[in-house]
Amino acid sequence: MDGIHDLGGLQGFGRIDVDEPEEAFHAPWEGRMFGMARCMARPADWNIDWFRHCRELIDPADYLTRPYYDQWMQAYSAMLVNSGVATVEEIATGKSTYRPKKVPPAPPPESFRTGRAGYTRYDRPGAADPAFRPGDIVRTKAHGIPGHTRLPRYVRGHRGVIVASHGPHVFPDAHAVGEDRAEPLYTVGFAASDLWPEVTHRDRVFLDLWESYLDRE
Amino acid sequence: MVDHDSRAVRHIHDELHSHLPAEPALRVKALESLLIEKGLVDPRTVDAWVEGYSEEIGPKRGARMVARAWVDPAFRELLLSDAAEAAAQFGFDGTGISHLTAHENTDDVHHLVVCTLCSCYPQGVLGIPPTWYKMAAYRARAVREPRGVLEEFGVRLSDEVEVQVWDSTAELRHMVVPQRPADTEGWSEERLAKLVTRNSMIGTDRDLSRMVKEAT
Repeated sequence: MDGIHDLGGLQGFGRIDVDEPEEAFHAPWEGRMFGMARCMARPADWNIDWFRHCRELIDPADYLTRPYYDQWMQAYSAMLVNSGVATVEEIATGKSTYRPKKVPPAPPPESFRTGRAGYTRYDRPGAADPAFRPGDIVRTKAHGIPGHTRLPRYVRGHRGVIVASHGPHVFPDAHAVGEDRAEPLYTVGFAASDLWPEVTHRDRVFLDLWESYLDRE
Repeated sequence: MVDHDSRAVRHIHDELHSHLPAEPALRVKALESLLIEKGLVDPRTVDAWVEGYSEEIGPKRGARMVARAWVDPAFRELLLSDAAEAAAQFGFDGTGISHLTAHENTDDVHHLVVCTLCSCYPQGVLGIPPTWYKMAAYRARAVREPRGVLEEFGVRLSDEVEVQVWDSTAELRHMVVPQRPADTEGWSEERLAKLVTRNSMIGTDRDLSRMVKEAT
């Protein structure tokens, strides 16, 4: 979707806080939200792309102004309500009024070690044959789709070159609506001067893009 | 069941916006209380994640990989061809490094990593991303004016150096291998690792020679 999250190349943003302290969490609540997101028992049909889409759907003004882990709080809350695991009222008060069905038990502390072994892979070898090879010239689709997609606006309709082929990876546009379907994934290189009218350097921008985002040029 | 209905979720966001307390710390506290009561969260597991990512899983891991690549040509080759396997050789695991890739800076090329669409970051080797990496200004500007962004971080590149920006749009995760600074011949891997800054592995730092001065 053409949402507020699709920030690449937007102008008018100010300086970056380069002096930010290097600790992992700047307040205890940030760590709590991070930890909860990582170890919360969840419905079996949640996945990373559904989470990303729920974060993209945060009100645009909130998306730009609320602290980062507060956006996680809001996205997870929306997912809990959407899945019938909690109500807005419960989340606002912190008090439970019912016990959700069909959710596995809360992972125990040792899951921090055991649960990370063999972390999620998104490649699906053999699921599809790549249509492009490194060196091929492609053009990205001119438009996105209304739902979750990973083709940013700033590269749409642009000419690029395939620089690497990664084989089939789970396709996020489908994954976000519950389908574990794979498409060939490529790293595509774009000349910065093709993307941005003001650029005179020979800099390049690389994105990892799925096959259906691309047409042969 | 997830209904995958964008409009429904958008409506839930409005409801949350109207009903939740404004202060993030209070919102998160209420959510944790609720999830504990519902049996969905064990607070000791949350503790384990917070502690693990506060110290053990952080940029020191990436720094060890870079230092080894500086002294061991075979490891360097592995890191540049299969960084996920290189991380596995150290026994590193964690979020976002199943499909890790590494990009080596040279005299002529400088790499910079960003995620314009969200906040993808190789957490298993670099830890929790800095807030600036996750917020709008960096995400908007890094792909369009990387040289201006780098200048804010104190990195001034000559026109001859090509900037290569890596936008993390898929599940591949990107890290930068900075150049080994001069006057470090004969240094141990452990000593070299202390020179490698977190920002140098994101690409918002380049010349590590000041770290050599600090270390000697």
